[in-house]
Amino acid sequence: MPNIRVLRDIKARHGVRANEIARRAYLYVARNQSLPPQVRHQAQLQLNTFGRYTRPTTVKNRCSETGRGRGIMSEFALCRFQFRLKALKGELNGIQKASW
Amino acid sequence: MAAVIPSRLTALTRLRCSIFQTSYNPTSVRTGAKYLRARLRGPSMVKYYPAVINISQLARQYPSLELVNEDEEQRLQDIEDRKKRGKGAPKKAKTKGTFYNSLGSQLLSIILFLNS
Repeated sequence: MPNIRVLRDIKARHGVRANEIARRAYLYVARNQSLPPQVRHQAQLQLNTFGRYTRPTTVKNRCSETGRGRGIMSEFALCRFQFRLKALKGELNGIQKASW
Repeated sequence: MAAVIPSRLTALTRLRCSIFQTSYNPTSVRTGAKYLRARLRGPSMVKYYPAVINISQLARQYPSLELVNEDEEQRLQDIEDRKKRGKGAPKKAKTKGTFYNSLGSQLLSIILFLNS
């Protein structure tokens, strides 16, 4: 069962996907220097009305096993310790302990 | 090498833009096109965590299967055990802030008494 931080992150991810196109359209208008300043300002105000869980920067890659936020290997969605445990158990394809 | 006339150079740039279908923007004005050009990141973001089967939801949808959510059963069992040891959560207060309410009424009665 994922912990609350992971659940919140999942919520943010779904929010980003749902609002991405609208946010991009407003971003285009707000950042376009060839448009009149009033229009750009209105677009920026509209961007500010979007909620917290619609911004892509709120999304953080967390460990899918423990929910840890630091030391994540994004490719496996695991923190460093869970990565080690799984790798030693042989559950990660193509990963083996180095020895020379 | 002979010096190239600037107007010829700008004409070359314009021609290059028309050939390669890029927008002619000699003054580098920010058009915001990069926000439209960039790929959408949402679909791959959603796929980051592996899908988890929600057992309690399944049990609610299909009562005939008689599924047992072991984690939930364990949690309820733990709460029961804690209550037996007197370590359970306190009961919810029926009235909010009874202490301060009583204090206020006492003060009011004192003031009324002094005024009379």
